[in-house]
Amino acid sequence: MSATLVAAGGSTPTLRRPSYAKYVGGRVLGALGSLAFVLVVNFFLFRVLPGDPARTLGRGRFRTEEQLEAFRATYGLDQPLPQQFLTFLKNTLTGDLGVSLRYRVPVSELILDRLWPTLLLVGTSTLLATIIGIYLGMVSAWNRGKTVDRVWTGSTLTLYSMPEWWLGLLLIATLAVGFGPVPGMFPTGGLHSVDADPGTFGYVLDTAWHLALPVTTLTLAYLADYALIMRSSLLDEIGEDYLVTARAKGLRDLQVRRRHAVPNALLPTTTLVAINLGFVVSGAITIETIFSIPGLGLLATEALSIPDYWVLQGVFLVASAAVILANLLANLLYGLLDPRVRT
Amino acid sequence: MFLGLPAMAPAAAEEADGGTVTFTVAMDNEVDSFNPFLGIEAESYEMWALMYDYLIGYSMQDMSPEPTGLAEDWDSSDDGLTWTFDIRDGITWSDGEPLTARDIAYTFNRVLDGGPEAQTWGSYLTSVTKITAPDDETVVLELSKPNAVLPLLPIPIIPEHVWSDVSEDQVKSYANEPEGGTPVVGSGPFRLVEGTAGGSTARFEARDDYWKGSPHVDEVVYRVFKSKDSAVQALIKGEVDYVEDVPALQVKALENQEGITAHFGDSPGFDEIAFNVGAVDTETGKPMGDGHEALKDPAFRFALGFAIDRERIIETAYQGAGEPGDSIIPPSYGDVRWEPPEDDRFTYDPERADELLTEAGYGTDASGNRLMPDGSDFGTLRLFARGESDTSVTVMDLFKEWLADLGIKAEITAMESNKLTNVILEGEFDAFEWGWYVEPDLDSMLSYLTCDQLGGWNDAWYCNEEYDRLYEEQNQAVDPEERVELMKEMQEIFYYDAAYLVTAYGATGEALRTDRFACFQPQPDPGGIWLFQYGVANYLNMRPADEAGDCDGIQNAVGVAGTSTSSSSGGDEGSSPWVPVAGGVVVLALLAGGGIWAFRRRATAAERE
Repeated sequence: MSATLVAAGGSTPTLRRPSYAKYVGGRVLGALGSLAFVLVVNFFLFRVLPGDPARTLGRGRFRTEEQLEAFRATYGLDQPLPQQFLTFLKNTLTGDLGVSLRYRVPVSELILDRLWPTLLLVGTSTLLATIIGIYLGMVSAWNRGKTVDRVWTGSTLTLYSMPEWWLGLLLIATLAVGFGPVPGMFPTGGLHSVDADPGTFGYVLDTAWHLALPVTTLTLAYLADYALIMRSSLLDEIGEDYLVTARAKGLRDLQVRRRHAVPNALLPTTTLVAINLGFVVSGAITIETIFSIPGLGLLATEALSIPDYWVLQGVFLVASAAVILANLLANLLYGLLDPRVRT
Repeated sequence: MFLGLPAMAPAAAEEADGGTVTFTVAMDNEVDSFNPFLGIEAESYEMWALMYDYLIGYSMQDMSPEPTGLAEDWDSSDDGLTWTFDIRDGITWSDGEPLTARDIAYTFNRVLDGGPEAQTWGSYLTSVTKITAPDDETVVLELSKPNAVLPLLPIPIIPEHVWSDVSEDQVKSYANEPEGGTPVVGSGPFRLVEGTAGGSTARFEARDDYWKGSPHVDEVVYRVFKSKDSAVQALIKGEVDYVEDVPALQVKALENQEGITAHFGDSPGFDEIAFNVGAVDTETGKPMGDGHEALKDPAFRFALGFAIDRERIIETAYQGAGEPGDSIIPPSYGDVRWEPPEDDRFTYDPERADELLTEAGYGTDASGNRLMPDGSDFGTLRLFARGESDTSVTVMDLFKEWLADLGIKAEITAMESNKLTNVILEGEFDAFEWGWYVEPDLDSMLSYLTCDQLGGWNDAWYCNEEYDRLYEEQNQAVDPEERVELMKEMQEIFYYDAAYLVTAYGATGEALRTDRFACFQPQPDPGGIWLFQYGVANYLNMRPADEAGDCDGIQNAVGVAGTSTSSSSGGDEGSSPWVPVAGGVVVLALLAGGGIWAFRRRATAAERE
């Protein structure tokens, strides 16, 4: 370590801190590298899956070997693997994600159709869970050991450990179907009513109404993540000397919390939020299943059983790209917030 | 913030809003394509049947071909090489153009020309050489050799004036979906007004100028439910009117529900335990894999037929939803099914199984362990179950027990069916559990068990020359009665060869809001299913419950006056489904309380330290 330092010192007379631009460049290159890696791995990963799409789809429909061959030929499955790989690389680079083996429509269309339900569902839930979770964590930490802390930490933990599908079904059976004198107030599933007219304000309301239960379920399930991180990082700060100083200055308790403790405690939470935002795209398979929301998670799970190679590659590419991008953003943000990481 | 919304929500259960009667179906899967040349899923077949007509219809009694389609009559020449179909006059497409014999010839020719169109439908036109429409009311098929599957041609007839713009190259990604508000042109009783492949809903509008008479409902809506529990809840609430493929336990729970009728309908198919009869490399013809020697012996396999307690399988693995099975053709196809003779019908008779095994040379040693004919150790049978199916796993668990009773050791592996397919194709198994749907014409089911299908669909690696000879013969038989005899002979051969031991004829659970809709005729009648049938009869039969009357004389229809269930409103629930919910609430409260209490304990403990 010291040897390299000496060597570095020898070549450049003054040791300078790397510039932010250089830091950004490095991170972006790294992200691009990861993406290229994912692209290649994706292709081979799914080819190793057991199963033959023509057989899975064609059971009871394609009667003869010729029919199976015709299906494989139509969708390029009869080509040797290296050639399929080249076609895949070429197509992906030109923005063509292939045609779904199951739905026979372009994968990019399928992903776009499924992307926004997932974004709406998981995005809204993550956002709500972040805001509520951070607030709860803050209140809990500030009142450590008091009833407020016990109630919030206890209940978020309970919700966290509950299976999401079970919580979802419970909400359907009560709030959607109705119980006793209480009528069912929400739909049991789906993203919007069949006769809703896209582009109107009613459509937006209708979608919000359909999403109420699934978003509630997911938010409740995600709460503990944020609440606990916020609670523990704020607890770390509470013992610090600068808070004593702040109090000594005569600041009121609320001001100490808001101006001094919380901003410092938010750093770990920022990382968590940034990383989780990346995972928004990959969806919430159980909730999408229970509430029949046509999202990306469901698309990928169902594609696995065929296996529908092109859909799997497409969804994983989009999902990985989102995670890589979110990480990149987190890194860049961190670089700004905390200069120490720019090494 | 959402409190104001329910009021503006469309109340699905009410027919009063504008007078539109909508029948809503909850189904398991998305439509894979509205293009009849591309789709494969059962859901897609159901949609095309609403959108298009077919040359031939299916009877409600036993799914045999009948002149309820576009052809009002047909005839074949004595040598079976020319088929002439008389096409109904005066049928129009939904855009007003007339539907003629030329559209039919056009559709079939597209299939005959090969390409993507031939993938699903090609096998129905085997040995057909030429299809012509000499005039608007006649279609003629010319064949190189007789094809006994005719007149059955389950290919949706498409309009030439629309599809002539779709080239063979374009067809493999042609969606055939409504565009810019224009419904898809078809001739069926409904028009597709909204829906996409892979989409979660599809909406169909009734045509009031349909040639068989307009439907009694205005709209049919399909909604995809990925969770059966949610679909059943939606049915209870009245958001949907019909749920397909309801699990046995749920059918029982729904039986007490007011306004809902749930039942098990026969759906023609069977489940079986299949053996590795002798896997071979299809290129070299040499034996392949590592199947057990004893299973290559028909006498050994036949003996095991008496070791299976099918009643218990139905009770435990199927929760009562099914019938014990014996031969590969289910009783719903009564006319073409071969009945095993009473003496040899598989029953649970372990003593007879033991006798037959000993007779075939598989004796036991002093401690009751089964031995090979040469006295060597029998070894262990490897049984495979499909991991995604509880039924499959339970059946194999039971089978293992029964084998143990006969002194035969076995071990079970459960794996996903995709993976199991690979194992089967490698021949590296002794037995597995799976099943088949049996189409109305037995030709396809019988073809799966021919030597030609080794390495294809013939998953038991069964090959019998006599069976194959009979298959060819029935496939080209000109006399229908002679053909039935040949097909029965094939079933008999396969029964005694016992490559499959049929365990059960499954039944499909269905649930229907009979307080809102009536007049669903089962297919097969009696005992069959209400929807997802062969043909669209029930979409024309169904009507609001208060207009049911005698359902135009359909005797076994659900909701015929006098037999209809109580007609309560959608909101009035019985008490039974609330037991689990109430239980859930209690558990939830306990959990929450417990969580707080536990945390409190930990917190105070930490403080005390």
